[in-house]
Amino acid sequence: MKIRIIVPLHPKLIIAVLALSLLPIQGSASELRQQIIAGFAQDAKLKNSGFAGFSAGRGQTLFLSKPATGKPDTPSCTTCHSINPAAKGQTRAGKEIAPMAVSKTPERFTDSKKVEKWFRRNCKSVLGRICTALEKGDFVTFMSNQ
Amino acid sequence: MAKVMIWDLPLRLFHWLMVATVAIAGITGFVAPAAWLDIHLFAGYALAILLAFRLAWGVLGSYYSRFRSFPLAPRSAFRHLRSLLRNSAAAHTGHNPVGAWMIIAVLFLLLALVLSGLIVLGGQENLGPLGFLVDFQTGWRAAALHEIAAWGLAGAIAVHLLGVFVEARLLRHPVVSAMITGNKLVTRAKAKGQGRSYKARGLTLFTIAALMLLGGGKMLASIPASGWKPVQTPAVYSAECGDCHDAYHPSLRTAASWRGIMSGLSDHYGEDASLDAETAAAMGAFLAANAAETFDTEAAWRMGRIDTKSLRITDTPYWTARHAGIADGVFKLSSVGSKVNCNGCHRDAASGRFADQDIHLPNLSKLPNGSQK
Ligand code: HEC
Ligand code: HEC
Ligand code: HEC
Repeated sequence: MKIRIIVPLHPKLIIAVLALSLLPIQGSASELRQQIIAGFAQDAKLKNSGFAGFSAGRGQTLFLSKPATGKPDTPSCTTCHSINPAAKGQTRAGKEIAPMAVSKTPERFTDSKKVEKWFRRNCKSVLGRICTALEKGDFVTFMSNQ
Repeated sequence: MAKVMIWDLPLRLFHWLMVATVAIAGITGFVAPAAWLDIHLFAGYALAILLAFRLAWGVLGSYYSRFRSFPLAPRSAFRHLRSLLRNSAAAHTGHNPVGAWMIIAVLFLLLALVLSGLIVLGGQENLGPLGFLVDFQTGWRAAALHEIAAWGLAGAIAVHLLGVFVEARLLRHPVVSAMITGNKLVTRAKAKGQGRSYKARGLTLFTIAALMLLGGGKMLASIPASGWKPVQTPAVYSAECGDCHDAYHPSLRTAASWRGIMSGLSDHYGEDASLDAETAAAMGAFLAANAAETFDTEAAWRMGRIDTKSLRITDTPYWTARHAGIADGVFKLSSVGSKVNCNGCHRDAASGRFADQDIHLPNLSKLPNGSQK
């Protein structure tokens, strides 16, 4: 069988196709993160029509606070995640947790199922309740700037 | 009187090699940490070959090595003992009657040790040439036999050494030098051809014994073990249950305990580890299908099948007993993290085997920092 090339393989075309195929991969991490934040924003607006954007400062406060309203062994987010977002943390069973700061761990907050799962678990463990969309958005915004 | 070769070279080599391997096996068996099992096994395999050689040599060796030449009539043994009490026993060209019985006893005990050892290895660790054949309970019973035989051998060695002492010191028969040079001063050499050293025949027989046992053993050991099966761990299990600690081999809990753990994930040892129902269900099926009840390993019998109120593996009496000697600080070392991370010390934890040889304590020089945490 003879293969007929219909589109002439011009070098410029090849470069263009390659560049296009690379683009989404490069942009994907921050794009996915933006999508997740946008989702939180949508939910926050539904709850409170006066919603005026997320705040990294509030996110930091949540991260560093010691609410101790959840389970006794997990008084704060920093029980497992290091106080320094750029440093590694440790689970209570002693396993390493990669830094939460996006600058250190670029794939953070890019898988919405994973993000939701851990917010559900960790907020229940630390706060004794699920986190609001506002808290989640603030937290991710804070970590994205770190 | 003439100097005659009584103990041929192969017999003497056998004797001293056996002394060395029994010493190694004894030390590693009685006092060394479990992780030294490899050395113990090596000594055991070496003993098996030496024993096979000795049994063959008892038929094909030179006159005094042959079992037929052993003065085993009970009456002569009693006579020898009685003359010993009177401090007047005559020197024997080959073995004396009590010594001959001693050798039979030692060979028998060694055979029992090697065989029971292989059964323990096959049944409890699912390793070695009998791993495909022996179940855990049989291995468990053989372990008792192995220990009894080991103490029996220790006793026999003590009696043997006492006998040598009596012969060499009290009766002044040079039995020790005879086992080194092979020569004894005798009035009449009973057997023909005693002067020959039997070197070539010894080497040939030893080589045949070694090749047959090693080849056969390797072949048998390559048959899949009976009580252990490889498990296809779904990626979702390793991922979801490996985030906070190493994911556990399913054989470490019963199906009922796994159900308990899976249904209590929102309050999981002080944390919320909840999963969506779909993921949890997929894992529950995997855990049930490969739970402790489906394994015939030491880990599955001594820990997996033992339900605990906390559902913890580390609350089983066996786990606590085996790890009682480990300082708290060792568990807290960064390479381990916690006692619940079995992989930190058991290189084969993911396979559910927990073989002694695969225990690897972390670098203890880091201990002072680790224990302060
Ligand atoms: C008991 C230990 C623990 C505590 C306390 C804890 N976390 Fe986590 N967190 C983890 C672990 C373990 C992971 C998953 C490991 C990883 O992603 O590297 C995780 C992951 C996350 C993720 C997902 C990150 C991603 O890459 O998608 C978020 C979001 C998160 N935690 C938020 C929080 C917040 C907010 C708090 C405090 C309210 C908190 N955590 C407290 C252990 C903890
Ligand atoms: C959010 C973190 C987290 C996740 C996810 C998690 N565990 Fe745990 N698990 C723990 C902690 C913390 C302990 C107690 C550690 C300690 O005592 O040091 C524990 C202990 C256990 C133990 C008892 C260990 C022992 O002491 O014998 C079992 C069994 C267990 N987990 C099973 C599971 C299974 C199955 C999954 C997956 C469905 C899972 N875990 C997922 C945090 C987690
Ligand atoms: C700090 C290191 C360490 C950790 C962590 C650890 N072990 Fe061990 N384990 C050992 C040592 C050392 C021994 C040998 C003890 C001895 O000499 O009797 C051992 C022995 C055992 C044995 C007996 C092995 C045999 O064949 O006789 C089993 C089974 C076992 N451990 C299971 C576990 C399980 C399951 C876990 C996790 C829940 C675990 N261990 C965690 C160090 C550890």
